[in-house]
Amino acid sequence: RRKETECDDSWVAYPVLSNEQSLDPELIDAFAAPITDKKETSRLIKELATVYPLRGLQHIKRVRARKEKGSTHPLEVIVCLASDAPDRGMDIFDLSSAGRLNCSGLGVPFLVKIPACPPLTRPQFEQASKHWPTSFHEDKQVTVALKGQLFSPHQKSKMQEYMMAAVAAAKQGWERGMEGVGAVVVDPESEKILAIGHDCRTGSHPLHHAVMVCIDLVACGQGGGAYTYDKYPACQFVLPDSSPSPRKDIPVCGNQPDQASTGESGHPYICTGYDLYVTREPCVMCAMALVHSRIGRVFYGTASIDGAFGSKFKIHAKKDLNHRFEVFQGVLGQQCEDLNRQVNLVKMNS
Amino acid sequence: DAVVVRENFQPCAEDIEMWMASAFDMAKEALENGEVPVGCLMVYNNEILGKGRNEVNETKNATRHAEMVALDQVLEWCRQRDLKPRTVCERTVLYVTVEPCIMCAAALRLINIPLVVYGCNNDRFGGCGSVLDIPAADLPLTGSSFKCISGIRAEEAVEMLKTFYKQENPNAPKPKARK
Ligand SMILES: [Zn+2]
Ligand SMILES: [Zn+2]
Repeated sequence: RRKETECDDSWVAYPVLSNEQSLDPELIDAFAAPITDKKETSRLIKELATVYPLRGLQHIKRVRARKEKGSTHPLEVIVCLASDAPDRGMDIFDLSSAGRLNCSGLGVPFLVKIPACPPLTRPQFEQASKHWPTSFHEDKQVTVALKGQLFSPHQKSKMQEYMMAAVAAAKQGWERGMEGVGAVVVDPESEKILAIGHDCRTGSHPLHHAVMVCIDLVACGQGGGAYTYDKYPACQFVLPDSSPSPRKDIPVCGNQPDQASTGESGHPYICTGYDLYVTREPCVMCAMALVHSRIGRVFYGTASIDGAFGSKFKIHAKKDLNHRFEVFQGVLGQQCEDLNRQVNLVKMNS
Repeated sequence: DAVVVRENFQPCAEDIEMWMASAFDMAKEALENGEVPVGCLMVYNNEILGKGRNEVNETKNATRHAEMVALDQVLEWCRQRDLKPRTVCERTVLYVTVEPCIMCAAALRLINIPLVVYGCNNDRFGGCGSVLDIPAADLPLTGSSFKCISGIRAEEAVEMLKTFYKQENPNAPKPKARK
């Protein structure tokens, strides 16, 4: 078993991307043909653009160079989508659209698969390019993140410190008969921990998952909160620096309509700008609770079967929801995985 | 057998109508007090064990939706009688004027509620089909799936929400359910 050390750099935090960013590109069938007479190239491109415009496929490069050197026909061109030629003619004259396209200079058509959507990440771009060249507007930050190189050594050591606190809380909860899950809320501006919590579901409340506990502890730190956690010394909150007195922009009592909810700023989106570290990927309830609380970013150690970020739903990236945020997995992955294995082992034996 | 109990568990039409009527009364009362007009109650053996209203503002906790508040009361009721929450929840129906959000739908699964009866859809956060279908989802570690009866007095529920969001911010009316 791995030992916890001061500078464990064996872990890498990878971004949990949306399906659009992470799935292999969807492919559609098209007819391509070699350009047998190079002099016809620009005329063919112009005519094809009017006769067979590739609607919604602006990312597709119409012409590609043959990879093999010394080929007799170094260029190939997309003639049309297979769906544009329902008779599926493999003879170039079948594709002439009743003579609207002058096919001279085109060789025997062949079927290719082309990417239906523009690639969003470098891996998708590389995958798409195996089929047909596409344009790619690279988000450099995503590329760096996918290599696991987004965070500086200082950031990594802070991230490790926070996750260690979550692991320690998980262990304390575990010793009290809870599931071994811990979580920490951090203000990345001040680099201060605002709340530490662990799973409290056994015996006291079946919905007191570590994330729910932490959200309520943050509320406690701002003069709110729905529960007390006196029974669990490892569950703690601190008052944030920025608000030594209770925040005035949040109404305390909701019985006057004008005060109770004065637009966006009047709502207790108390986790705005904060980061959550949790040893295990949150369940649907916890993930959506983080959406409601407007969490800034989430870091989890290890995936879980019903997890609602990387494993299922990708709740943080859902377009229909009004708050989206970045999620990373793998922080102190090994220690978090060990915790999880311990939990599962006991579950199996009970 | 618990599974059989859950699957055959269904109140009669008159009961559904009656409990939804009191959920709507709650929502109306909330609206008159300037609160989010959502009425929510949890009924076990013809007895209301939990009655919730949105407590997000006073707790500064964005997860304190009416359902979560009502659930706490059910759990307290069990605690006082030394009953296992699971055996009670498995025979408890949630009546609510608006479709539970994704978070609440998952919470209802986690505590094994068999049936949820609701009024209008929740286009922004709905977890029973509008944004995600949590009761039907394949979530082996998230309690049990539940049945839904929806669309009961839906227009009335929508109207109340519209009225609330209009008075909340006259310059930017938010017609969709936010809770
Ligand atoms: Zn959870
Ligand atoms: Zn809810």
